[in-house]
Parts: sequence; C-alpha cells; structure tokens
Amino acid sequence: MTRSRCRWSLDRRGILMPILAIAGVTISPRQAAGQAVRGWVGTTVQAVGLRPLVLDTIPASQVVRDESGALTYEGQPVSCPTASQCTLYGVAARETTVAATQDVSLTAWGWGVQGLSLTTLLRGRARAGGDVAWPRSDDAFDMILGYAQLERGSIRVRAGRQEIRSGLGFPAFDGAWASWSSRRYEVSAYLGRSLARGLREPANEALRPLESFIPDETVHLVGAAARARLSAGSATARYQREIYADRSGLVSERGSLDFVSNVRRARLTGSVDYDFAFGRVGKGRLTVMMPLQDGRWMVEATARRYVPYFQLSTIWGFFEPVSYSEAELRGSWSARPDLALWASGGWRTYGETNATTVFRPLKDEGWRVGAGARWELGDGWSMDGSYRLEWGPGAFLSSVDLGMRYHASDRLGLSAHGTTFQQVEEFRLGDGRAVGGGLSADLVLTDRITVAGGASVLRHRDGGTRSTSPWSQSRAWSSLRIGVGEDPGLSQRRMRR
Amino acid sequence: MRPLAPQVLCHTRRLAFAVTALTALAGGSGAAAAGAQQQGFPHERHQGLFPLCAGCHEGIPGSDSASFYPTAATCARCHDGEQQVRVSWSAPERRAHNLRFDHRVHAGRLERGGDPPVECTGCHTPEGGARMSVSEDIQLGTCFGCHEHQAQEHLVDAYCRTCHTPLARSGMSLSFIEALPMPADHEAQNFVLEGHGSSASADWRRCATCHTADRCAACHVDAARPEIESLEYAPAGMELAMMTAYYPKPATHDEAWFDEHGTQASREACATCHTQDDCTVCHSGSLPVRAAALPRADQVLAPGAGIEARAPASHASLFFLDVHTALAAAEPGTCATCHQESFCVACHDGPSNGGYHPPDFVARHPAAAFGREAECANCHSTEAFCRECHQESGLTGFGRLGPGYHSAGAFWLIRHGQAARQGLESCISCHKQTDCMQCHGVAGAFKVSPHGADFDARSAWERSPRTCVACHLRNPLNGSQP
Repeated sequence: MTRSRCRWSLDRRGILMPILAIAGVTISPRQAAGQAVRGWVGTTVQAVGLRPLVLDTIPASQVVRDESGALTYEGQPVSCPTASQCTLYGVAARETTVAATQDVSLTAWGWGVQGLSLTTLLRGRARAGGDVAWPRSDDAFDMILGYAQLERGSIRVRAGRQEIRSGLGFPAFDGAWASWSSRRYEVSAYLGRSLARGLREPANEALRPLESFIPDETVHLVGAAARARLSAGSATARYQREIYADRSGLVSERGSLDFVSNVRRARLTGSVDYDFAFGRVGKGRLTVMMPLQDGRWMVEATARRYVPYFQLSTIWGFFEPVSYSEAELRGSWSARPDLALWASGGWRTYGETNATTVFRPLKDEGWRVGAGARWELGDGWSMDGSYRLEWGPGAFLSSVDLGMRYHASDRLGLSAHGTTFQQVEEFRLGDGRAVGGGLSADLVLTDRITVAGGASVLRHRDGGTRSTSPWSQSRAWSSLRIGVGEDPGLSQRRMRR
Repeated sequence: MRPLAPQVLCHTRRLAFAVTALTALAGGSGAAAAGAQQQGFPHERHQGLFPLCAGCHEGIPGSDSASFYPTAATCARCHDGEQQVRVSWSAPERRAHNLRFDHRVHAGRLERGGDPPVECTGCHTPEGGARMSVSEDIQLGTCFGCHEHQAQEHLVDAYCRTCHTPLARSGMSLSFIEALPMPADHEAQNFVLEGHGSSASADWRRCATCHTADRCAACHVDAARPEIESLEYAPAGMELAMMTAYYPKPATHDEAWFDEHGTQASREACATCHTQDDCTVCHSGSLPVRAAALPRADQVLAPGAGIEARAPASHASLFFLDVHTALAAAEPGTCATCHQESFCVACHDGPSNGGYHPPDFVARHPAAAFGREAECANCHSTEAFCRECHQESGLTGFGRLGPGYHSAGAFWLIRHGQAARQGLESCISCHKQTDCMQCHGVAGAFKVSPHGADFDARSAWERSPRTCVACHLRNPLNGSQP
C-alpha cells in the first residue's frame, strides 16, 4: 500500500522539537531545582504467520448447485458473475511477517518555571520482514503526543499535539487547550488542526491514499467542556465541531454529556452524545452498579444505545445507519476471597432500517451471554476461565477461554492460555471451529526494566468445506520496557504488577 | 501507608536520672565519677581539718572549673609520707549535664549572707547529717526546698528551661540521653499524631530539653518549619539514640479524604510526613504544582511516610474495563492523576498487546465488531487499520459485483441494505466509498438512494455541500452546479 510521505517533513519538525527540548533538559550541565524527566521506552516486536485469503477463479463447468440451490465448488458457495467463470475465496501459501514498534514516552519539567512541563510520546514502526503488511507499519514515525503545558494555580494551558479523552471519543489535534478548574468546577476549551480519528495524523493526508474520496482540505477542530464535581457526582458536558479550514462546510458537530454519581452504595454512570450535524441522538449508555453483601456481590445493569458516528466529510453518515438498543445484566460473586464468579447476559434489537428485503429479512436482534471465574489457587497460581456466546446480525461466536498464571517470584510471571471457539459469519462464507493456546512470560529484570514475551498458535478446522482456514495462525511477541528519568514510585508500581 | 515501624523512644521512666544528674552536679562532676570519688575521698574523716568547703573546692563559687577540686599537691601537704601516708589523688572528670544550675549564683548568696543563706551543706549534706557527710544523692527536694516548683508534674508542665539547658548544648553522653525520663503526656496514644505538634508549637523549648532538632528531622520531611528550626541540631560528635521514623496514619485519611486530597494538598499540610516522592508513586505524569511544592526525598533527612500506589475501589470490579470509558469521560482529571496519557495510548493506539482484548482476539473479532459493545473507531481507524488488515488478509471490496465473499445467502446484493444500515462500520472495514457510489450515486448503475425516509436534504446541503456533490455531481436541491 502506498501512503503519502509528505507528512514526514511536517512530523519531523514536530518530533525534533520535543526531543531537543527534553534532551536539553536532560543533559544540561546546570539543571534547575526540581527539574526532572520521567517516562519510559518500550519496544515491541510481533510476528504472525498465516495463510491469507486469495480470490480464486474456476470454470463455471466445475460448479454444481447444492440442495439449497446455491452454486458451490467442493462444498463452498461461489459467485458466478459470468456464464463461463466463477470466483471464490481460497487460501494462499503461508506468509510470515514481523513488525516492530518503538515507543518513547517522556514528560519533563523544571527550568525554574513553576508548572511548565513538556510531554511527548513518539512512536517508530518498522516491518522487519515478510509479505503481509502489518497495519500502519509503513508509517515510520508518529508523534502521538507532543505538547508543552503550563500550570499556574487553577489555570492550565497546553500547546502542541494532544488528544482529548472524552465522551466523543479521542479527538486529537495540533493546537491549544486551556482550562480553569476549581475544587468543584472545570471549564476548558481547545482548538487546532484536527487529526484523523484513530490515527493522530492530519486527516486529509492520512486517509487520502486509503480512500477514494477524502477532501484535500485541512480541518479545524474547536471544542469546549464544562465539568462539575458535586457531592452527588461528577458530570462533564462537551461541545465540539470540526470545519474545513476554508469554511466551505462542516465536518462534524457533536455534543456529549457524561456523568458518574454515587447514590448510596450504587454507582450510576451514564453517557449520551448528540450529533448536531445529522440532527440525531448518537450513542448512549446508562449503567447502575450496586455492591451487595459488603461487596461480595456486584450487580450491574446497563442500558445501551449504539449508532455509528461518521463525519460529514464521507458519504457514510448519509446512508443513515440505524441504532441498536441493548439491555444487559451482569453480576459477580466473590464466593471466597480467592474465588470470584461472574455471569452476564444481554439482548439487543436494531431500529427499523426501511431497507429492501428479499425473501426473508436479516436478523434484527442479537444477544450475548457469558460466564466465568477467577480463582487464586495459592502459592502463586491463579486461573481465569470464561465462556461467551454471542449471536447477532452478521456473526455468531461461541468461545471458551482458559488461562493460568503462575507467579514464580515477585519478578517472574508465567502464563498459559487455551481457547476454542466456533464462529459463523453470516454475511459471508465461513463456519468453523478453532483451537489454540499459548505461553507467555514476563520478567522484571530491575526496578525499571521489564521484559515479556509469548507465543500462541491457533488451528482452524473448517466446517467441511474445501476452502479456507483463514483463522489458522501462529503469533509471537516480545517486549522490552525501560523506565527512564526520575520516578521513585516506578519500582513499587512494577513490583505490584 | 506502609507498615508502621515501631517507635524508638529515647525516653525511659527512670526518674533516677534526675537524682543522678544532680548528684554529679553537686559534686561538681558527673554522677558516676562523683560517686566513686566520694567513696575514694572520706569527707567525714577530714571534717576537723577543713572548716570551709571552698578550702579544697575553691573554684566552685566562681565556677572556675580548673580549681573545682584540690590538686594532688594539696593532699601531699599532709600526705607527704612523713606526716601521713602518701595517697594518690586525681580530680574526677566533669561529666556533661543539662542542668542550668550555676554555683556562682548560690555562692553569691552565701557571700552576701542571703536570706535564707545558701550553704554548701544545704544541698550536699543529708538533712541531719554531719557537716562533711557529703551525700552521693542530691534529692530534687533539695532544690525545691527553696525554689517552689510551679508545676504540678515536673516532667509535664514545668517551665523546663528554668533548670535545664537544651540537650544540644549539654554534651550529654548517649547513655545519659537514653536514660532521660519520658514525660507522662508522651505516653498518650495519639501523642505523635495529635499531641506533640501543638505542644511544640506552644513551647518548643520544652522539647529542646530532651531533644535535638535531629529527632524532629528524623520524621518531619519539612524540617524547615519554625518550631523545628528553633531547636538546635546536635553538634558534631554528639551521639544520639537511633531514631526510626514513625508515620502513623491520621484518622482523617479515609476513603472520602483520598478522593479529595488533591484539593487540600500543600506543603504545610503534607510535608510533615510526605516527600514529593510519595506523590510520584501515583502521580505519574508531570508533577502537580501542589505536589511539586513538597521537598524531594533526597533533599531531606526524613525518609517520608512512603506509600504504595493503589487502585481506587472502582477498579476492583471484574467489569471495570467495560465501564471505564464513562468514568474517564466524566472525570478525566481523576484518571490523569495516576495514568500518563501514554497509558491510555498503550491500549487505544498500542501495538496490540495492550491487554484490552483477549489473546487471539483478532481471529474472532467479527462478533465483537458487529455487536459494537465498544466503539472500535475510538482506537482503530476504520480505513487505516481495519481495511488495511482486511486487504492484507485478502478481504478486499471489489465494487458492486462481489467475488463471492458475501455468497452465504442468495441475492446478497439486493438485500444488503438492511445489513448495511445495521452494521455500516463493518461494511466500510472492507469497502471504499466508491464501491457504494457505483450504485448509489446519480452516475451509478442503479441510482439507488441510500437516504432514509426522514432524510433532510436541505440541512445536509447546507452543512456539507461537497459531500452531496460527490454522489449527486450538482446541487441536489435545485440542480445547479456547485
């Protein structure tokens, strides 16, 4: 896949600035009192081996019609766009690829300016080998975060690349953010160049190579939030809008309300958002969590509404996706201090699609149930097991997972897991069972250095068709994380894990 | 809080110390040595020879320490081997003490014939004893015979500096210090937490009688506070009892306080027990200004209370991961207390082993992707992540004439609308916009409108005309060119 490289020159400056600034702080021969750098460096290497799907072509003469009237080849339904040839998915030869990710996260403060700090999170990616392109591995560098913050009393100001964690997701932008807070209230506002959702890169540059129709235009983001923290609970209201830099149109306009409240022993959390651009209610969630019998029981009831959100810059939102509403009940029981059991069940129904249906409509409801247990066996051993069943439009999944962990010492942990699942993808071919398992280990080498690694295999046994075993795969990963700078609490946090 | 260390107290209840100290002082020497010399020098046998105490102890009235005791030559005037047998004699070493007693004052009263006159025997001879029956033990009552003690309890409410010098100036040995009696009020259960601070604020000089500032600085992170700085540190070479810091957890530090402690934090309130390092155990980002006001552990003598990071009660729920989004959105600052932004990113934009998804999730993610319990796009760009991976796995949209992927049901193409409206995000994890525009655009094959019955075309045009034009090629309201 070809990706635009023009943003490299842009990001390089963004990367270098915080690096130079923090390096200056770190190596400066005359550090100011209270000056410090803290952070971590993490390296993750992952490998996967699998057999990708490939589109295969066969002569129509080899296709037969099965009992249901569907055209098949060796038991697998095919599509025959022409009279002479049919297409179907097969599996290619096994391919292996290795991807590496390098993160550097640093926060520095000092310089004799009270409340001034720099925060940066840099990520480097590389594909070490193989033919399968690991998602985003062709992005050599990303500055995910890179901002300066000044905190003076109740005022905080940030400038640079940052993101907002909110009921509207994780909008990221290059710009400024400011807040005023008191013990009970906080108001904040932000504006800047909007970055692509889930990418933290300029939207138009990041997505144009991937999508046929992405406007070549900078998008500005502006938003504001107000938070109240009262005895009854906390609530945050937020408004946010994105517009094209040339003001030729709106990209998004949304608002959200998130709250958490403690009513006696119960905790009430809720969130709802509204899409002003399309004039419709977005996602919503209301959860009541109630501990019973001194916390041995935990009961949680959730009402949820989900509808996907799309920006006006794409055509997807104009297709008017419908929402689903779901009710879910979950409970956990700490039967003993070393044993906890849980179970959950939920049912959802989709709104009226007003779409043409032929023969029979698709499912418009779904449900999911699950149950599991956590057991501390003693002597460093613990077990975790669960069963989940989910059946809705588009997919069915029945899965059993079992994990076991052994703390050989305060520094060494060993884990093993096994899984088996049956999966049906309703909108496509595919019905099969998979069995897999893996081993992993994590070792705290020093108070600041942790290494971990693992490997797993998954074997797919298809449902009797010739075709595919796309879920069969082997994976391995390793990671190294090094704490850097002044962090007296680092060792304690690590040891607790 | 970390487990409380046992308090090492340098006080004992050995009130005999006071007696011993006074004994030493009365003899012009430390207690033990003085006692030994009393036994060595038989005062009573010499009482007929010396009419005045100052004949031998001539330096005492003038506080001339060099002539507190007679010299060996003085003894040899009689004990010359002819008149009397030779004896060996050396004056005892003066031992340190912390009494403010000044012989000169009392000697002055003697010379002036004060009323009542102060004789040496008034203190040094037991009541009813012979003139030179010098006692080893001088009772407190000896002082209090003249000096009325204003305090009901000597060790609790006396004005210490009337009689005592600060410990730091006393030069007392470790054994003396360890033998200092402990006042009764120090034994109160909450003395360390609630008593000693107010007591020190009221009269730090009382503390200084038995303590140097080192004792305070052993626990107090912020030893620069006035009450402590008023005390003197032990001079070089002075040996002190081992001091182990003791940090009992205040009753105020309950769960409710834990939630609010940030708003109440200040150097004055926290630095008694906590260094900046305690803050950074949890506060993992840039240090809050209030926390930065506290001294670092390497800047102070006290170790600080030392705390362990702990998760709030909400994190204990087996379902916390599912509800954390609402909490984070409602109270983002609360999360940021302990978690750096990179902590969030580790999952939300991480290299896939962030821990949110179970192992092998990618192989069975379709159900979760269709069900959308969580919004995948919060972490994954549908285009850059989902579609890129699907393409690499061979799942690529090929326009309106699918090659067989959706062949599980007959006539998929003409019945896909319901699936699209129910799970559009899943569709676009493989399909580009142009795949749909082949049929749904005005230039497409079938010109099928994707809009619902309630679609507000005018509003859409006003908000984003360029998107309308993508399919309609011109203004769909009036047909004009954009």
